[in-house]
Amino acid sequence: MKSKYGIIGLAWFLLLLLIAGCVGQPPSPSPKPTTVTPTPTSTPTPSSVSEKKIKAAFIYVGPIGDYGWTHAHDKARKYVDNLFPWLKTSYAESVAEGDADRYIDRFIHEGYDVVFTTSFGYMDSTIEAGKKYPDKIFFHCSGYKRYKNVGTYFAEFYQLYYLNGLMAGALTKSNKIGYVGAYPTPEVVRHINAFALGIKEVNSEAKVYVRWLFSWYDPSKAKEAAESLIAEGVDTLAFTEDSPTVVEVGQEHTEKGQQIYTFAHYSPMLKFGPDTVVSGQLVHWEKIYEDILSKIYTGIYNSTNLENVDYWWMLKEHAVELGVDYGTPINPKFINQLKAVKVKEKVTGQEMSVYDLVMLRLKQMSEEVPTFDPYTGPIYDQNGKLRAKPGERLGHDPLWTMDWFVSNVVGEVPKPS
Amino acid sequence: MKIKIEKTSFPSKTKSLTVTLFSVITALLTAAAIFQFYGVNPLSAYEKILYGAFGTPYAWSETIVKTIPLLLCSIGLGVAFKAVIWNIGAEGQLLIGAITATCVALNFPNLPSISLLPLMFISGFIGGAVWGLIPGFLKAEFEADEIITTLMLNYIAENLLKYLVYGPWKGSEEWGFPYTNKFSVSAQLPRIPNTRIHYPTLLIGLILTVLLYILMTKTKLGYEIRVVGESREASKYAGINFKKIILIVMIISGGLAGLAGVGEVAGIHHRLKVGISPGYGYTAIIIAWLGKLNPLGILIASVLFGGLMVGGDMIQVSLGLPFSVINMFNGLILFFVVSGEFLMRYKIKIKR
Repeated sequence: MKSKYGIIGLAWFLLLLLIAGCVGQPPSPSPKPTTVTPTPTSTPTPSSVSEKKIKAAFIYVGPIGDYGWTHAHDKARKYVDNLFPWLKTSYAESVAEGDADRYIDRFIHEGYDVVFTTSFGYMDSTIEAGKKYPDKIFFHCSGYKRYKNVGTYFAEFYQLYYLNGLMAGALTKSNKIGYVGAYPTPEVVRHINAFALGIKEVNSEAKVYVRWLFSWYDPSKAKEAAESLIAEGVDTLAFTEDSPTVVEVGQEHTEKGQQIYTFAHYSPMLKFGPDTVVSGQLVHWEKIYEDILSKIYTGIYNSTNLENVDYWWMLKEHAVELGVDYGTPINPKFINQLKAVKVKEKVTGQEMSVYDLVMLRLKQMSEEVPTFDPYTGPIYDQNGKLRAKPGERLGHDPLWTMDWFVSNVVGEVPKPS
Repeated sequence: MKIKIEKTSFPSKTKSLTVTLFSVITALLTAAAIFQFYGVNPLSAYEKILYGAFGTPYAWSETIVKTIPLLLCSIGLGVAFKAVIWNIGAEGQLLIGAITATCVALNFPNLPSISLLPLMFISGFIGGAVWGLIPGFLKAEFEADEIITTLMLNYIAENLLKYLVYGPWKGSEEWGFPYTNKFSVSAQLPRIPNTRIHYPTLLIGLILTVLLYILMTKTKLGYEIRVVGESREASKYAGINFKKIILIVMIISGGLAGLAGVGEVAGIHHRLKVGISPGYGYTAIIIAWLGKLNPLGILIASVLFGGLMVGGDMIQVSLGLPFSVINMFNGLILFFVVSGEFLMRYKIKIKR
C-alpha cells in the first residue's frame, strides 16, 4: 500500500514540476512584424555594439496580474524583452513606495544598467538614485522631476476620454453619465474633464456624476460606486480603476434588460461586457519602452543628457489606442446607433453622424501635428470661470496640475483648505 | 464520533521555546518545498535572503530601519496580548500617530528641532493612545469585542489619512498630488550618516523595550496585567480593576504604535502620504507571538522580521519569484507558530 502511494505521490510531484516548468517559461509569442516600427535614429556601427548587453529592471507598484496599470507595463516589458536580443529584463512587483530606494539599490547591485520606476510615488526615490548612481540610467513614469540621468515618460489618455465622451453623449437616454474615479489626482481630473468635453460637444443637456474610490484597485468599491450611480438614473459609465468591475456591472444590468453603456479602461474588456462596452482606452507602453531602450542602446541617451527627456505620448505616437480590444475601436454592436445620431461639427458646421465625428477627431488627433485638441477654448469651469480663452489650447502645465472640473461635471475635486 | 478540545496543564518555559523553534523550522521547510516547486534551490534561496538581510552593512542598516516600527508596535501589542486584549489595531494607531505628528510638524515648522521633535513624539503617542482608548473604552464599558473594533478603526484611520492628504493637507508644492508638503528641516529626525536609520526612534524603541520588560516582570501593574490575562475571574477575586487594566494596556499599545508612526513620517518619508506603512501594524501581531509576548523575545523577533522584509526583496530581485511568496512566507510562520501554541496548550481528544 505504502509504496503505491509513494509512486502516485512522486508522479504528482513530477507533474507539478512539469507544470511549474511550463508556467515558468511562457510561450513568448514572437512580436507581430507589423507593429515593429524601426527607429529611424538607430544606425549603430555594428562592431561597437554587437556585444553590448543592456539589463533593464522594472519596479511596479501593483501586482502584475491586476489587469490594469501594472499588467500593462509588464506586457510591454515582455514585448521589448522579446524584441531586442541584447536586452535582459527583470521586475519587482507590489513594491511599497517607501521601499523603492532599496529595490533600486538591489537591482543596481545585481548589475542592472537601466531602472524604470512606474509609480508617481517613486519620484523622489528615483531622483535620489540618479544622484547616487551617476553612471546608471533611470526613467520615472508619471512624474515631473528629472535629472541628468533620470528621464520621465507617460502615455496620456485624455484624447481617448474625449472620444469616449462623444459616444457617451450620443448614446445616453437619461442624460446622466457616471464616472467612477480612483483618486482625485490631476491625471484623473484631466480625464474626467476630457470625457465631459466630449459629451458636451454632442449633448448640451447631459451631466457627468463623479464618485471617488480613493483606491487604484478595489473591485468591491467600484461595484458599489457603479451600482449607486445606476440607482440614481445614470445609464452610461466610464471609470478609472484597475479591474473590469464597472464593465461587469454594466453587463449584468444590460442582461436584465436595462441597457447600460460602459467604456473600458486600460485593458481590452470586450469579453467582460460584450453587450455594454462601447469603446475604451488602451495603452501601448511598449512603444515608449522600445524607443527609450533603443536610444539607450545606440547611445543617443546616456547618463548625462536626460535632464530634458520627457515622453508625453498620445495618439500620434501610437502609445495609446481607442478601443474595446486591440484593433476594435468601437464595439460593432453600437456602430449603427452611433451612425444614427446626427450632430453639427463645431468647426465647419457640417452635419455628420457621431460615428463619423469620432473617426474624424481620431484622425485629426493622430496627425503628426494634431489639428484638433479637446482642450481648446473656450472652456469654463463649474463656477463659470473662463479656464481657456476662445481658440487657446491648454498646454502641458495647466493639464498636468488640473484641479477644477468643467461646467457639465457634477461633484467636486477635494481641495486644500 | 466527537472531537473535544481540552486545556492541558501550563507548559514549561523550555517546552514552550522548543515548540516555537520547531514551528519556525516547520514553516521554513514548508517554504523550502515551495521554492523547490518554483525550481529554485531552497538552500541558495535562504542564503540569498540571509545575505540580503544581514550580509552587508547596508543590508543591516535597512533591516534596522524596518525593525524600528516593528519593534515599537509589537512590544506594545505584547503587553495587550498578555492581558488577553486582542488589539488588532496597531496599524491604525500607527497611522494616527503619524497624522498627529504631521499636524504638529506642519503647524510649527519654525520651532527648533530640540522642542519640535519631542512635541511630535508626544503628540504621536497621544494620538495612538486615544485611537487605542476608543475600543478600550467600548470593551470596558460595553463588552464590545475589541478584535472587531480595533480592526475597523484601522480602516477609519486609513481613510482619515487619505482624506487629509487629498483634501485639507494637500501640499501646495506638490502639483496637486496627494502629499503634504515636505517637513521643515527641524521636523526631520537625524539619521546615522549614509543610512536611513533615524536613531532617536531606535533609541526610544530600545529603552521602551527594557522599561516594558521591567514593568511586566517587576511591578505590581505588570503582575496585574498578567493575572487579568490568565483568568479574569481570578483577577476579580484578587481585587484587580479589570476595566482599568484594559484602558492601560490600550494606552500602552496604542501609544507605542503611534510613536512608530512618528518615526516613519519624521525619519523616513519627511511628509505624510498614503502608503507610509506597508502593514507594520499587522506584521507586529506575528512578531509579538513569535517573541512569546516577552519584550526581549520580541526584540529578537523584530530584527528577524525586519530582516525578512528586507531580505525578502531578493526573492523578487535575484530569484525572480512573485511577490506573493514573501506574504506566503510570513503567513506560514504565523500559521505554524499559532498552531504550535494551540497544540501546546490544548489537547484534541477524539471520542467514539
